[in-house]
Amino acid sequence: MLWLNTRMSDTIIIGMSGGVDSSVTAKILKDKGYKIECVFMKNWEGDEENCNAEEDYKDALSICDYLDIPLRSVNFSNEYWEKVFQYFIDEYAKGRTPNPDVLCNREVKFKAFLDYALDLGASKIATGHYAQIIETKDGFKLLKGQDQKKDQSYFLYLLGQEALSKSIFPLGNIEKITVRKLAEDSGLINYAKKDSTGVCFIGEQKFFKEFLKKYIPAKPGYIQTIKGKICGEHEGLTYYTMGQRKGLGIGGGHGNIEAPWFVADKDIENNILIVAQGHDNPSLFHQGLNADGIHWIKGSPPHSLENISAKIRYRQADQNCKIVELSFDKCKVEFKKPQFAITPGQSIVFYRGEECIGGAIINNRY
Amino acid sequence: MPYFDHSATTPIHPIVLHKMNSISEAHFGNPSSIHSSGRKSKAIIESSRRIIADLIHAAPNEIIFTGSGTEANNAVLWSLIFEQNKHVITSSVEHPAILKVLDSIAPFGVTYTKLPVNKFGEVNPTELEKAIQKNTGLISIMMVNNEVGTINPINSLIQVSKSKNIPFHSDSVQALGKTPLSVNDLGADYLSFSGHKFYGPKGVGFLYKKNESKLNPIIIGGGQESQLRAGTENISGIVGLAEAVRLAVQNLDSRILHLEELEATFKSSLSNYCTNVIYNGHPKKHVPGVISASFLNKKSDILLAELDREGIEVSSGSACGSGSVKPSFVLEEMGLPESQNISTIRISFGRSNTMADVNTLVNALAKYTNV
Repeated sequence: MLWLNTRMSDTIIIGMSGGVDSSVTAKILKDKGYKIECVFMKNWEGDEENCNAEEDYKDALSICDYLDIPLRSVNFSNEYWEKVFQYFIDEYAKGRTPNPDVLCNREVKFKAFLDYALDLGASKIATGHYAQIIETKDGFKLLKGQDQKKDQSYFLYLLGQEALSKSIFPLGNIEKITVRKLAEDSGLINYAKKDSTGVCFIGEQKFFKEFLKKYIPAKPGYIQTIKGKICGEHEGLTYYTMGQRKGLGIGGGHGNIEAPWFVADKDIENNILIVAQGHDNPSLFHQGLNADGIHWIKGSPPHSLENISAKIRYRQADQNCKIVELSFDKCKVEFKKPQFAITPGQSIVFYRGEECIGGAIINNRY
Repeated sequence: MPYFDHSATTPIHPIVLHKMNSISEAHFGNPSSIHSSGRKSKAIIESSRRIIADLIHAAPNEIIFTGSGTEANNAVLWSLIFEQNKHVITSSVEHPAILKVLDSIAPFGVTYTKLPVNKFGEVNPTELEKAIQKNTGLISIMMVNNEVGTINPINSLIQVSKSKNIPFHSDSVQALGKTPLSVNDLGADYLSFSGHKFYGPKGVGFLYKKNESKLNPIIIGGGQESQLRAGTENISGIVGLAEAVRLAVQNLDSRILHLEELEATFKSSLSNYCTNVIYNGHPKKHVPGVISASFLNKKSDILLAELDREGIEVSSGSACGSGSVKPSFVLEEMGLPESQNISTIRISFGRSNTMADVNTLVNALAKYTNV
């Protein structure tokens, strides 16, 4: 483990969210005797009642008080707004489904926060991510977390050598269930706190549409089957994502079988949502995709494009694939098996075995 | 651990604490009860009221106990929603316990004008006069600014309000114990005070309300505080508050002298090490011991963390802003450029600080700000 190489005299600054993962991260480093401090990041400003920043801060304060670790706070809401949120809104406005967390990691947690921690005199930062970093003669490598169910390397593929060289993930080789037990056994008040889900500034999924409506005007239109038959109305393409099943409002009388409907495509030009019936419907599956904004963790493309697999969404099992075309910032990928609901705006993240080697943003599929 | 954040709050004075403890142990009766225990508690409260009134030259029935300085401010502002004239004139550098309240009562028809301040943080009486409208029902301007310690030309401001017959309120929580105060001479209608700012307990404050000035209560219940602020009285808190006022007023000269010495020593000693420091606020008209200092090219959040590691406690912006680091709106209103704004810390000395503490502070600042 790389983080064991950190000198005891170095100060490690922990990104403390008030959640169980960062709390246990702090506890582990404290027990090992490192000089540590915690920083709470406030990345969202405003009156979204669903944003729990204040409650989270109170938890962070209580945990740090209990562990006797200094807690500082910092406000990166400007950085978040400019570098993450604007992009998030722009992408949705284009009918795509962005993933703000990958950008938040690159721009806020492993850029603004890292810089701030270094200014505060830290030599390393630590976070509660479920991923591992190792140093090799070829540089720093990002590995999946040992707990395959919690592995968060997918969200970290935009990190570079500089960020990895200054970061440690103490939870990388621990299972989530053990983390919770550690928290409970150490008397951390938040051991049972729910994991954050969804987009942090919106909160629960059920508020999602409502939230987007505030920033992107709704443009209602028709829903069509893949055969071109109008079968309903949508509230605006923005609010739907590929493969979505719930909330389409397509009643009986359409189609012959009692199978559910899924979003198969978006015709942005004509503002039409295209749906297909049945989870196995071939129009929901694609063999390949084009992606851009490619990023390689080691800073350059791999020497060999053999034996690469990919995830096109978080928690998906690795899919065998081939990078059939590769330029400076674009790639074309073909999968061994057709993929369900390949979603423009989401990230395709590449792996070689346990190692996360990079990724790109999905542009279209074929 | 040297503590230099007395404008945020002060440690409780040992004499105050002793008084509070003995009252808590001996008296529990509800002051509204008519039996002996109740009467005793009531007598204690009324005696505390007299003590405070005497010390600030008010009449006892002009003192209304509250739960905080913030509550005293709220009482005065919310009272307006029942009045005809709902326009308020205030300053742009008031505490949120004024500015946010004014926003909250806007739905009840209250409007307000925020007066600008000059580069020292002072309100200009001529500007005040110009801002008065037909329906102005209150002027609320702080006596001493909490971030830079500047003392407003409060007498001239009150004169303007009197000439137009408009009630005058002043958030005075930063004034008591640092500047002489006689409500008689001052002539304001309402003044807000908070116990913990002058070595009294937290959770208790008071509103001075001139006898002939009107107040519509917002906390309604059992009729305590002459129907103006209901709720069973915080007996030990009130006793502690009165004792803290007594100590503040009776020892005012020696406290001021002490604070002035600390401030002068700090500034002259620091000038030997730091050339990149700028002091904000009025060079003369400010309360002693409150120093707003900008260390150019040194961001205050980093400096605060470095000092904190050495056990030295100061603040940046206002205390309520902790949890986030933002440029101070007070300094912004005073016209400071942002780079200077975010490089500003507030040092506020107190009665237990020593020259040795000042030395520790100066050494630490020399170490961390000469970059």
